[in-house]
Amino acid sequence: MTEDEADAMPAGQYKLRLFITGSTPRSARAIENMRRICAENLEGRYDLEVVDVYQDPEATKELQIIATPTLVKILPEPLRRIIGDLSDRERVLAGLDLAPLDKGDPGHP
Amino acid sequence: MNRHFELADIDHSQLTELQDRLREAEETLEAIRNGEVDAVVVGGPSGQQVYTLENADRPYRVLIEQMQEGAVTLSDEGFILYCNQRFAALVGADREALIGESIELFLSSTEVFAFRHLMASGRGTGRSAEFILRSSTGLWVPVNVSIADLKVDAQMPNVLCGVVTDLTHSRERSHELAAANMRLASEIEERRRVEDSLQLALDAADMGHWDLDLVSNTVTRSTRYDTIFGYANTVRAWGLPMLLSQFVPEDRDAVREAFSLAESSGAVEIEKRIHRLSDNSIRWVQIMGRTFYLNGKAVRISGVVSDVTDRRHIEEQLRQAQKMEAIGQLTGGIAHDFNNLLMVIGGSLDMLDQRIEKDDKIVRYLAAARLGVARGAKLNQQLLAFSRRQDLRTEAICVEDLIDTFENLLDRAVGETVKVKIEKAPEPWYCRTDPHQLETAILNLAINARDAMPQGGTLTLKTDTGRLDTKAATANGVGAGDYVIVSLADTGVGMTADVVGRVFEPFFTTKEVGKGTGLGLSQVYGFARQCGGFVSIESRLGIGTTVFIHLPRAIRADAAKTVAAPAVEVKGKGIVLVVEDDGDVRAVASSLLENLGYSVLEAGNGSDALKLIDSGKRVDLVFTDVIMPGAMNGMDLVREIKAKHAKIPVLLTSGYTAQRIAVDELAHDLQLLRKPYTQVDLSLAVQTVMNKST
Repeated sequence: MTEDEADAMPAGQYKLRLFITGSTPRSARAIENMRRICAENLEGRYDLEVVDVYQDPEATKELQIIATPTLVKILPEPLRRIIGDLSDRERVLAGLDLAPLDKGDPGHP
Repeated sequence: MNRHFELADIDHSQLTELQDRLREAEETLEAIRNGEVDAVVVGGPSGQQVYTLENADRPYRVLIEQMQEGAVTLSDEGFILYCNQRFAALVGADREALIGESIELFLSSTEVFAFRHLMASGRGTGRSAEFILRSSTGLWVPVNVSIADLKVDAQMPNVLCGVVTDLTHSRERSHELAAANMRLASEIEERRRVEDSLQLALDAADMGHWDLDLVSNTVTRSTRYDTIFGYANTVRAWGLPMLLSQFVPEDRDAVREAFSLAESSGAVEIEKRIHRLSDNSIRWVQIMGRTFYLNGKAVRISGVVSDVTDRRHIEEQLRQAQKMEAIGQLTGGIAHDFNNLLMVIGGSLDMLDQRIEKDDKIVRYLAAARLGVARGAKLNQQLLAFSRRQDLRTEAICVEDLIDTFENLLDRAVGETVKVKIEKAPEPWYCRTDPHQLETAILNLAINARDAMPQGGTLTLKTDTGRLDTKAATANGVGAGDYVIVSLADTGVGMTADVVGRVFEPFFTTKEVGKGTGLGLSQVYGFARQCGGFVSIESRLGIGTTVFIHLPRAIRADAAKTVAAPAVEVKGKGIVLVVEDDGDVRAVASSLLENLGYSVLEAGNGSDALKLIDSGKRVDLVFTDVIMPGAMNGMDLVREIKAKHAKIPVLLTSGYTAQRIAVDELAHDLQLLRKPYTQVDLSLAVQTVMNKST
């Protein structure tokens, strides 16, 4: 991640990358969960990239991925990795620095 | 210690960050420990390796088993480590039996080396080649084998992944395609051949091709079409109006009508005149075409065109020749009978002259009657000349030798207003002809020329030489070879083409009644034909007319010259046998001979005459007609007499002396008396023959 990249993103915009392993059921679940969370909490302000480590193993190196599925929050900083199929919604929201919906005021925990 | 001091230095935010990272690490470990991950990624010297923790490749196995391509993994040596169901089906074996077997079992021995080469070559990249697999059921299956290396650690044995595609169907399709292509190619070839031979046929027939598109109103043509119409450079396609404009104005409407009629009738066939662009000459073209219909509507008219000018010219010449031949037959027949009539009248006059008391009136009447007979005989002579039945006395002569005579003749004939020019051929050639008839012919032509130049002008008599090729000779009804050409050109009024077409017909004249007989050119025509030559004529209105007499060249000159006989009657003695089928003529001839002092025996035909001679009666001279009906004509009789009674001299007579007698060797030394003859003519002829034989 560079200064340029950070500058290119508007404030409050999320840049996410999800690492999966082909079409395993867990990978499929992770993709599903991620889509839902984004749709519910980050509507219109996220950029999600899904990387299959079978296809591109080298992509794991930069973000030091050691297992899949792993979601990486690249922006806003700080960088966070969330491992697993993302079915623990609370944990995912926490990792993304997002307050649960019922607590209101997303973006400012 | 130092570390504690460092920790103490760390501020709160850094601490939070560190706590988060620690939690992240713990969560990761926890997840791995709990089996919440599918794979771990391990970095190594050869890059990142993905290790599947669970049966994460199951979807791929399902995919591989589902697909219609055979899939195998092979060891370096070609042993099958894995294969899908499809591959097993391709080679017709159980999957269980295949694992551990060499794939080379299913390759023909000739392809094993190529397969090994494919496995070994291009390590690290995908590659493919086509083979034929031999299934265990004995079938040969064409396949494409695509091979890629599986990336594994350096220490691990090499594995190759192969995808085997059955090409049977695609081969069949390409075979079908190839067969279809072959059919198409042969059809194209056949069509081209047909087109070529059509083109060849059109070329051979000297025909051009044209195609009128009625929808777009454009005419497309072949090169030959443009040549016929005289277009030097290719002109773009044009419409019907342009096509029509190439025809002469008088024919244009007829052509337009023919084309519009063709749309309903289905065909067009015309023979009309065009203005050829290249030399602006008028040519006859024949156009034939058929109409093509689409849904009952005429859309195209397509066909051929040929230049028929030459053909029409030759046809015209042939028609002319046939007409002249027919007229010749007719006039020849009439002249023969007419001569016999004149003979009777003339002979009777001769006898009347001797037997009646004469006063001045009777003498005048007799003289007038004789003059009439003489004029009739002269006319008859011209008729015979035209019908080529006159008695030609041909000899090989050089026309140049006669030029002086002709010049005098011309000067007298044409009068003072016409200037006479003589042009001689560069080389004097001989030709076989009758100089007297040639003189008559030139005189006839000169009189015509004079009449064509009432205001005066120039008359040019020219002799020339020339060679006729087969085509030109055939067109004129003569043989090819060298010809002496005598031409007479005037600068007179000229003639129209219609008049030129009829000038040689007997009694055809453009002169006022009483000014010409219409036999002058007929004589020229018949004379030239009888000499083995022909006459041609060129005439342009207002410019003049030239008549060319072509006479075949003769090799050598004959020295023979005819000597003019004295015109006084000579009496004689002896027995003359008169052979003549016409009773009146026979009676006249007998009377004339008796008047001359001869005794006469008579016979009505050849056979009777021969019987009479054979009976041993004394005959001093046989005077016979040439042409007689019955088994024996005059020539047959002569032949018999020559054979049996060679001493008896013969005198022939005919009103119809044909060329065939002249060429007959028998007639070579025979004297021929032309009808109608006078008593004087007869006496001289009889004397000559009787003197010769003694």
